[in-house]
Amino acid sequence: MSDIALSISRPNEKPVRSAAGALHTIQTVCILIVALVIVSPLFLLVVASLKDDRFQILADMGSFRAFWVSNPTLNNFKEVGHFSGELAFGRYLFNSLLILSITVCSGVIVNSMAGFVLAWGSVKGRATILSIVIALYVIPQESIIMPLVIMVSRAGMTDTFAVQIVPWIASPLYIFLFYQFFAQLPKELLEAAQMDGASIFRIYRSIFMPLSLPAVATVSILTGIETWNQYLWPILVTQTDYARPIAVAIATFFGQDSIYWDRAMAASVLMMIPILGLYLAFQRWFVSSFVGSAVKG
Amino acid sequence: MNMQQSTVPSLAKGKRQARNKSHRGRLFQEASMLAPAVVLLTLFLIVPFILSFWTAMTNQPLVPRPTPLRFIWFTNFVRIFQDDLFWTALWNVSRFAFWILPVQCGLAFATALLLHQKIPFRNLLRGMFFLPAITSMVVVCVIWGTLFQYPTGPFNQILGFVSAGYIQPIDWLGDPEWAMFSIVLLSAWQAYGFQMIVYLAGLQGIPDELYDAARIDGANAFQRFWHVTMPGLRPTHVFVLVITTIQAFKLYTQVAILTQGGPKSSTETVVHYMVRAGFEEQKMGYASAVSVILFVIVLIIALVQRQLLRRFDV
Amino acid sequence: MGKRLLSSLILTAAMSALAHAADMKVIHVMHQGDPAGVAAIGAVAKAFEAENPDVNVETIYAPHDAYNEKFSAAVMAKQLPDVMELDAPFLANYVWSGYLQPIKPLIDKDVLDDMTDSNIVQGTYPVDKDLYAIGLTDSTVVLYGNRKYLEAIGARIPKSVDDAWTREEFEGYLEQLSKLDGVKWPIDTFRGYGIKTEWITYAYGPILQSAGCDLIDRTTWKSAGTLDSEACVDAMTMMQKWVKNGWVVPQSAGTNQFYAEGHPAALALGGHWFYAEAAASMKDDIVVMPLPKFGAKGASPNGTWIWAVTETSEHPDVAGKFVSFMLKDREYRKFVASKSGYPGLKSFAAESPLYASGGAMAIAYEQASKTAIARPPYPAYPTITSAFMQAVDEAFNGGDPKAALTTAAEKIDEDIEDNDGYPPFGDQQ
Repeated sequence: MSDIALSISRPNEKPVRSAAGALHTIQTVCILIVALVIVSPLFLLVVASLKDDRFQILADMGSFRAFWVSNPTLNNFKEVGHFSGELAFGRYLFNSLLILSITVCSGVIVNSMAGFVLAWGSVKGRATILSIVIALYVIPQESIIMPLVIMVSRAGMTDTFAVQIVPWIASPLYIFLFYQFFAQLPKELLEAAQMDGASIFRIYRSIFMPLSLPAVATVSILTGIETWNQYLWPILVTQTDYARPIAVAIATFFGQDSIYWDRAMAASVLMMIPILGLYLAFQRWFVSSFVGSAVKG
Repeated sequence: MNMQQSTVPSLAKGKRQARNKSHRGRLFQEASMLAPAVVLLTLFLIVPFILSFWTAMTNQPLVPRPTPLRFIWFTNFVRIFQDDLFWTALWNVSRFAFWILPVQCGLAFATALLLHQKIPFRNLLRGMFFLPAITSMVVVCVIWGTLFQYPTGPFNQILGFVSAGYIQPIDWLGDPEWAMFSIVLLSAWQAYGFQMIVYLAGLQGIPDELYDAARIDGANAFQRFWHVTMPGLRPTHVFVLVITTIQAFKLYTQVAILTQGGPKSSTETVVHYMVRAGFEEQKMGYASAVSVILFVIVLIIALVQRQLLRRFDV
Repeated sequence: MGKRLLSSLILTAAMSALAHAADMKVIHVMHQGDPAGVAAIGAVAKAFEAENPDVNVETIYAPHDAYNEKFSAAVMAKQLPDVMELDAPFLANYVWSGYLQPIKPLIDKDVLDDMTDSNIVQGTYPVDKDLYAIGLTDSTVVLYGNRKYLEAIGARIPKSVDDAWTREEFEGYLEQLSKLDGVKWPIDTFRGYGIKTEWITYAYGPILQSAGCDLIDRTTWKSAGTLDSEACVDAMTMMQKWVKNGWVVPQSAGTNQFYAEGHPAALALGGHWFYAEAAASMKDDIVVMPLPKFGAKGASPNGTWIWAVTETSEHPDVAGKFVSFMLKDREYRKFVASKSGYPGLKSFAAESPLYASGGAMAIAYEQASKTAIARPPYPAYPTITSAFMQAVDEAFNGGDPKAALTTAAEKIDEDIEDNDGYPPFGDQQ
């Protein structure tokens, strides 16, 4: 909780208090303005999604009317909110949610178990596995995607939910994050539980996991955002409505000769809502645990 | 006392046996806890990774064709290096990296410095600053696609207003001179949030005592920033620099949606080039060769990062 | 996330999976189109289901700009649809790769007899001369003009395909129009459709052909020496000049500048489908003219989205029945006609006064028999069109036309070589 040096003076320093106070106010106002400018495109999105006419949206964009909607309507949302047919964004949203929830839950379980064993286990070769995991972190998703497409299509997995979930559950980065988090917890926790005769899985489940809410939150948010925003992989492996995620569906607006901005905006707002919820739910733990762990990875 | 003493050896023996048994059980449990991750990583990361080297040396098509599959050694790599478009793509991602580093990292650093102070509504503001980072790139494209409208989109109107009509409308995404820069702007907006968090973490990691000591030595605010904050953030800077550079080399989604690599290949990127080769032209072998090259590039960047971090002894 | 919510999510997914396996004849129909077209095909599917209660029609929509990729993905997954809509120039590639089956035995005879010559050509595979696809429509591109502007510069208005503008006339008018009040851009060539769209090859290819060259030599199947020939470089340089002079509506300005408020664009090199939307807004101010002659002969494009039955279909008979049903469906025809659909069936032509002699689009129909040249019916077409799009993007944005076309020709020939000349095409030499 240290002030950084750039701030002219600390609030608890006595001299030139009123000047500092004025400066402080100015600072706060500046930050607020910057924040508003940064967020304004998102505000524009919400406003535009409430306008009914796609040409009007474009025309308004050139003026302050972009920030205001005189007769808001939910028509766009009604138009795109179907569960079947041409604009089945209800369905795409559901698909994405299903993929998101399964990926996040199984990702947390699989990666934390591995991280825990690597940190506190007694299997031989832990160090080797750990260094392999760290080395694997260097491989970008983009550079394995071509052979992976051929693999999953040979296995008949394309156009399913599984193909969008299973390959991305285990992740070197998250295994490492969990490893790091578990490794810094005191050894006594483990020893005390072992004295009581608890099995290693028990120790993991009942002692270490409940203590690692920050790590779970971080990994959940990161996996969540990553999964939610996947674009390249799903366009390569989905082709029907059946498992098409919402990101891919929104992108198809751009493939048309004339872009239906009104519907695209409404669909975009739909896409924002769940991830915003996830973020708000976990953000308290997210930032504090991100400290350090990311930088040294 | 006596009784207890006499029973010690046998008890110890029993314990050892029990421990052996429980040790084996424990190993089994540990192995089964590791197994899911190991199996998944092997199947979906290691195997395709190794396969990519093999596929890169064949003429593997995307879908089966009447022509036979052949092993062609390094022909794909030779062709890639002979293709001007590939070098254009490499040059473009380098340009992208060069521009986005100051824009994105600067924005991240500045917002982190602001948020690190004692200000009201700090949590709310942090949430606001982080909002773009949780916005999907596809949604970002929808929003910025309208912001970039030519000739009467918001950006052009603002430029025209500020310059009193002196600046002509810019065809942000349609002019080869501007397209990549426009992609930089929207990408920086979308991605700076994560770097901001990393910087915040870095700032929190600098001990208060260092500032106090500097103050006692009579350092002014700027000196404290330069001699305490900046050195303390050195590993953070390296980390942010490296992930931003790697990110640049993976640039794909916004380009695929908004400019499709054009105009005049000015936004063609390595990944877009790879996907086009694999899917539009259906040459999987060729595309795999590009992916191998991509991996080598990312590996080199990661090794440079390690060297730099080692120099700062982190 | 509550456990109950999660399990209900999974349950719903499982149930929709079960619905897939219902005990009915299911045919999958893969198609493209704008939202209204998607709805029209959905209506046809419903009507067909109502008439055939044992059949379940599942439509699969794929946006047309990535259609070929989506289709490849389906091939990889061995999940080919039963009926697929395809863009005519890709037919040769699909048949060569073995995805389609001859469609003649599956389609009602009256529909087959109803096909126009150009419709037959676009659905025929040149190797075995068999029919693999059929459409309700064909297509063309014409030159639309704004009557007021043309009269203001005193332009000659061609009455038939034979007296189309020459290159000198055309470029002269462009120049004059560029100086006319109210005209922001002399011509819209629909760059707004994007840079990776079949429109490029479809609409600009005929300009090369009219200038006396082609995308590829259609007997030796070699592109070098043809696409990078003097005539093609000259034609490409000419188009580049239009763009450089600011005569062409830029890509970012959208696709409605011809009829948008104030009519900023004076001419439009547009598809037949553009007539409906333009005429709705411009009424009698719209003039339909044949494509200009850029060399000795005129050339115009043809070929459109047509329907085929895949090799792997489990119910080819039902698939064929669906196609016949759709082509005859009154509501569907009405919809296509409302989009100024260009007739590919004689009976549909009779229902389309727009294209009959004296109709507003009569010239468009005349082009089909006089100047239409199909895109190369050759399995390398996906590469040909992709390479050409790249070259056009390069040249339109100031790149060297000769270098751009040479690169494209090399890329095309490389692909042909990689596929051993696409036998049996190579064997015909």
